[in-house]
Amino acid sequence: MGQSERMIDITSVHKTFVADHGTVTALEPVSITIREGEFISIVGPSGCGKSTLLRLISGLDQASGGTITLDVAGAVRPVGFVFQEPVLLPWKTVLENVRFPLDTSGVRRAQGDKTALDLIKMVGLSGFEKALPRQLSGGMRQRAAIARALSDDPPILLMDEPFSAVDLLTRDNLNDELLRIWQSTGKTILLVTHSVEEAAYLADRVMVMTARPGRLKCVHDVDLARPRGEDTKLDPAYHALVAQLRRDLRTPAGEAH
Amino acid sequence: MKRRLSAAVDYALALLMLLAAWWYATGPMAMPTYLLPSPLRTWNALAGIAMTGELWMHLGFTLQNIIVGLILGCIAGTAIAYVMTRFPKLATWLDGPLVILQTAPKIALAPLFVVWFGFGIMAKIVLVFSLVFFPVFIGAVAGFRTLDPKMKDLAKLLGLSALQRFRRIELPAAMPEVFVGLKIGAVQALVGAVLAEWMAGKVGLGYLMTFASATYKTPLLFAAVLTTVALGLLLHVALTFLERRLLSWKGVANG
Repeated sequence: MGQSERMIDITSVHKTFVADHGTVTALEPVSITIREGEFISIVGPSGCGKSTLLRLISGLDQASGGTITLDVAGAVRPVGFVFQEPVLLPWKTVLENVRFPLDTSGVRRAQGDKTALDLIKMVGLSGFEKALPRQLSGGMRQRAAIARALSDDPPILLMDEPFSAVDLLTRDNLNDELLRIWQSTGKTILLVTHSVEEAAYLADRVMVMTARPGRLKCVHDVDLARPRGEDTKLDPAYHALVAQLRRDLRTPAGEAH
Repeated sequence: MKRRLSAAVDYALALLMLLAAWWYATGPMAMPTYLLPSPLRTWNALAGIAMTGELWMHLGFTLQNIIVGLILGCIAGTAIAYVMTRFPKLATWLDGPLVILQTAPKIALAPLFVVWFGFGIMAKIVLVFSLVFFPVFIGAVAGFRTLDPKMKDLAKLLGLSALQRFRRIELPAAMPEVFVGLKIGAVQALVGAVLAEWMAGKVGLGYLMTFASATYKTPLLFAAVLTTVALGLLLHVALTFLERRLLSWKGVANG
């Protein structure tokens, strides 16, 4: 399978909620095609529907209209999901949490342990297999959550502001780890974030969304060399993109001023 | 470790002083036995029924009623709480009757239970059950209702069956609150079991008390009361042990 193969096909997907005072549009029709192995960042203010879009892709919520096609060859669990909070089971150890998706789908214990231990190593939690979530720092918990999302090897990884609750230094580290994981696994990743810097640093393409009603304003290609690192943050092209993303978010289309 | 040891010494000292005061009242102060039997007489009465096996029969009967009532109350309380939080429609139907049952003083219902369920074991277990059910039920409802909605998302993403979701996520998450109810319920269970035996039947620690007081055997009465106290302590220790085993992830192990 080549890089250009379609992984997610989104056509005119929209979402409305019924509220007390009529219907509220959470997401105006969005269309985009995401290729296999692509890293997409979705950036926008609160209420722009970026989390809604992620939930629709994951199947957690149903779209009001339009179609989402995942080219995942009938995988039972096509997407891994990383929430803003780690959502680990507090009574289970790191190993048991990471193994949880495997345990609940009938994978043999020995096989589950092997997969989980490999992933724990990959996210840098070796030595903490037997630790309980409450014994870990916020960043470590989120690492465990990423390992869990990857444990039954879904082709797509959806991340809803995964690093917004950790401090900035930890966030930088986790961003680099995420890039490393992405490069070694070849997953298709959609990451929702508030941070334009994070969006630009990580992604192949950045989707810019605006609020009230939530809509996709534009999509930017990110032409920054890979692998990315500290040098990327010195690249004028990176700063130009960050500035452009800021401008996009400042002046919502259709708003006169 | 050292602190724990000194606490144990303190406890032992306090108990010893209590025992000494008791002895003083019956010895030098010469309280009559029918009011306050001496520690030695009480011990002799206790040893006497322990030797004949009578004590173990009564203790066993009461303990068995408590345990059966506790287990049934726990299962029913948790199950009904779960069903009600899963099906809110049902909750609106059941709410009224449950509030009435809950506020009714179960002790006042005890004579009715005897009328309905007879002098045997059934009435006792029903009373214990009714006392255990509500604290557990209320705790479990709180536990199920406060479940992190993201946990539900997780279950949905993983495509868990209803049973998997209950067993692997919802029940363990609600366990701390269930346990709060269980600990309250256990105290009530002991009260209920003894009370039920006061009213009817020919066996159990409660029966032993009524028998001893009716026949003016105060040392025997004291022996029965002390055994009941010891049973209460035993229950408390057992539940604390169970809690530490089951809820060690909450960090209560050092409590």
